Amino acid sequence: MLEAKGLRKAFGNIVATDDVSLEFGREEGEMVFIVGPNGAGKSTLINLLTGLLDPDEGEVILDGEEITSLRADERVHKGLVRSFQVVKVFEEMTVRENIRTAILIKEEMTGGFGPRGALQGLFSLDDEHEEVEAKIEELIDQFRLEDVADDIAEELPHGDRKLLDVAMSFALDPSYLLLDEPTSGVSAQETDYVIETIVEVSEKQNVTTVTIEHDMDLVRGYADRVIALHQGSVHGEGPPSILETDDELRRLLLGVGE
Amino acid sequence: MTPGLEREDGSLRIRLMKGLVVSPLQLLGILVGIGLLFALPDIARSTENLPIRERPIYRGMVLGLAAVGLNLLLRHADLVSFGHAAFFGTGAYTTAILIQFYEIQSVLILIPMAIIAATLMAVLIGYFTLPHEGLYFALVTLAFGQLLYSIPRGIGELGGTDGLNVLAPSQPGTSVLDRFPRLGDIALTGSDIENSILFAVTIVVSLIMLLIMLRISKSPFGRALDAIGQQRTRARFLGLRVKRYVWAAFIISGFYGGVAGALYAIFFTSGVSPDETLQVFVSGDILYIAILGGFNTLTGPFIGGIIFEVLANIASDFELTGPGGTKEIGRMLTGIVLLIIVFVFPSGVVGSLKRGGKVREAGVDLKNDPSLIGPWLSQAASGTVAAAKRAVENVRILLLGVK
Repeated sequence: MLEAKGLRKAFGNIVATDDVSLEFGREEGEMVFIVGPNGAGKSTLINLLTGLLDPDEGEVILDGEEITSLRADERVHKGLVRSFQVVKVFEEMTVRENIRTAILIKEEMTGGFGPRGALQGLFSLDDEHEEVEAKIEELIDQFRLEDVADDIAEELPHGDRKLLDVAMSFALDPSYLLLDEPTSGVSAQETDYVIETIVEVSEKQNVTTVTIEHDMDLVRGYADRVIALHQGSVHGEGPPSILETDDELRRLLLGVGE
Repeated sequence: MTPGLEREDGSLRIRLMKGLVVSPLQLLGILVGIGLLFALPDIARSTENLPIRERPIYRGMVLGLAAVGLNLLLRHADLVSFGHAAFFGTGAYTTAILIQFYEIQSVLILIPMAIIAATLMAVLIGYFTLPHEGLYFALVTLAFGQLLYSIPRGIGELGGTDGLNVLAPSQPGTSVLDRFPRLGDIALTGSDIENSILFAVTIVVSLIMLLIMLRISKSPFGRALDAIGQQRTRARFLGLRVKRYVWAAFIISGFYGGVAGALYAIFFTSGVSPDETLQVFVSGDILYIAILGGFNTLTGPFIGGIIFEVLANIASDFELTGPGGTKEIGRMLTGIVLLIIVFVFPSGVVGSLKRGGKVREAGVDLKNDPSLIGPWLSQAASGTVAAAKRAVENVRILLLGVK
């Protein structure tokens, strides 16, 4: 289970996250969606959980271990992985090379700092490791990127870029995957395709996902649990039906019910 | 994987070693290139008409080697160093100090010691650059370079601005070659033979260093550096300990500088002075050499070094006589010529050769299928735009220290 305990983060006078305590992955493979209006502190929460930001107060606990003081890269190796709202891939590499890089980093094959030793990191060829290549093909297949596998990331259509971005996160074998608006900027036709692929792969690998999402139809369709944030605090949480029953929440999110 | 032949898309490829597969034409180019390198001192010696001289070629080779090291940071990790003379100078000064004060002559001691000193210097300077990126990284390297420049200038024992003498003992029958392990009772005399042997040793060392860099650039470690250069934040959130890798790359880079500095001091120079090894202009030259040769290529920085030094040497002969007296305008001329080269060959000299191959291929396709003219023209147009962008990038690196 991934826990936030009394997290608080202020930027100057603005309190972005105020005493937020939450639990994710009460059961393995849970799909949690975080909703809330702009400025509710959704992204800040993910940034605090993953180590992009340090909290002013509070703790982050992963499977019973306090990880608040761990670096971001250390959290990744413990199974806590994230993606960003804006696609962050290696623009000059092909799809295949992007995924290969992610796997090599995850397997600590890139240098003298992991168990595999400096010589292999420095003097093996990046594409000669059979187990890595097999995993690349598997991911390309799962995310249906076959047709663009040798295209440069920079030149991909936006939907494929999003899929590549998520595929790289899955390449790390996460236990917890935090997705910051995986469908932002994706065209309406591609949105379902992207989110369905994510759901399909995370169910198969039993990954607990925490997704920030603005599209309430998607939230209703896929969420096991919905958490609503407002002005840095938890407004409420529950099954997707709270989106219909909680009038105040409806007003916050959709501007209806007044 | 052993050397041999293989086929790729129907065309013949020659595998020289793991990670080095070339086309027959490329192999020819490599062989001619290596042959030319070995022949350079003889060419320089045999003609008075060509303005090519041995010393600039040699200095170009060793500075080129330092630039190959710098290019690990520039090409892969997207970091610009304005202070790589620090490692070149540390290597050179370590050698000079050992010769002058400890009377050590054997290259088997001098070269390893110089490399160790330069690498340790890279460990130290690298550590202080770690918190910084972009321009700030460049400025920290510049600051340390200047700090190191001031040390020998201020210490009288180190020869001040004159530097240290590294000539071989001038008893009859002794030469720089005595610094090498004796392989037999071969009597070698005459500075021409001596120079040719020193050249050959330097070329062999350089080729080995290039091969090592080739393997590093195709390794998982190289891929990690690419990741840092292209998307630092994502690299971190894939679990990469970014600063460790930048540090490691910096140290390897310093190692190359140390080798270059040691070769420079041992072989061809009569003395090691701050102005010729540690000054900020030497750092600038090393960075410029990498760009001139083509920083997106492996051999570019090495070849760029030779081109740069030979051009600079030719330019240094020019003088301008005006009301203020006679002035050398070599630096200015070099600057102008090199600026033009950067704009004509925005991918560097070697990088442009590679592009030339692509243009020729496109030309052949066009002959076979004239309807390709439309796409070809639009490609040429976008190519020109890309070239202009690269030229601007080059200038940005030189002026601002950011890619």
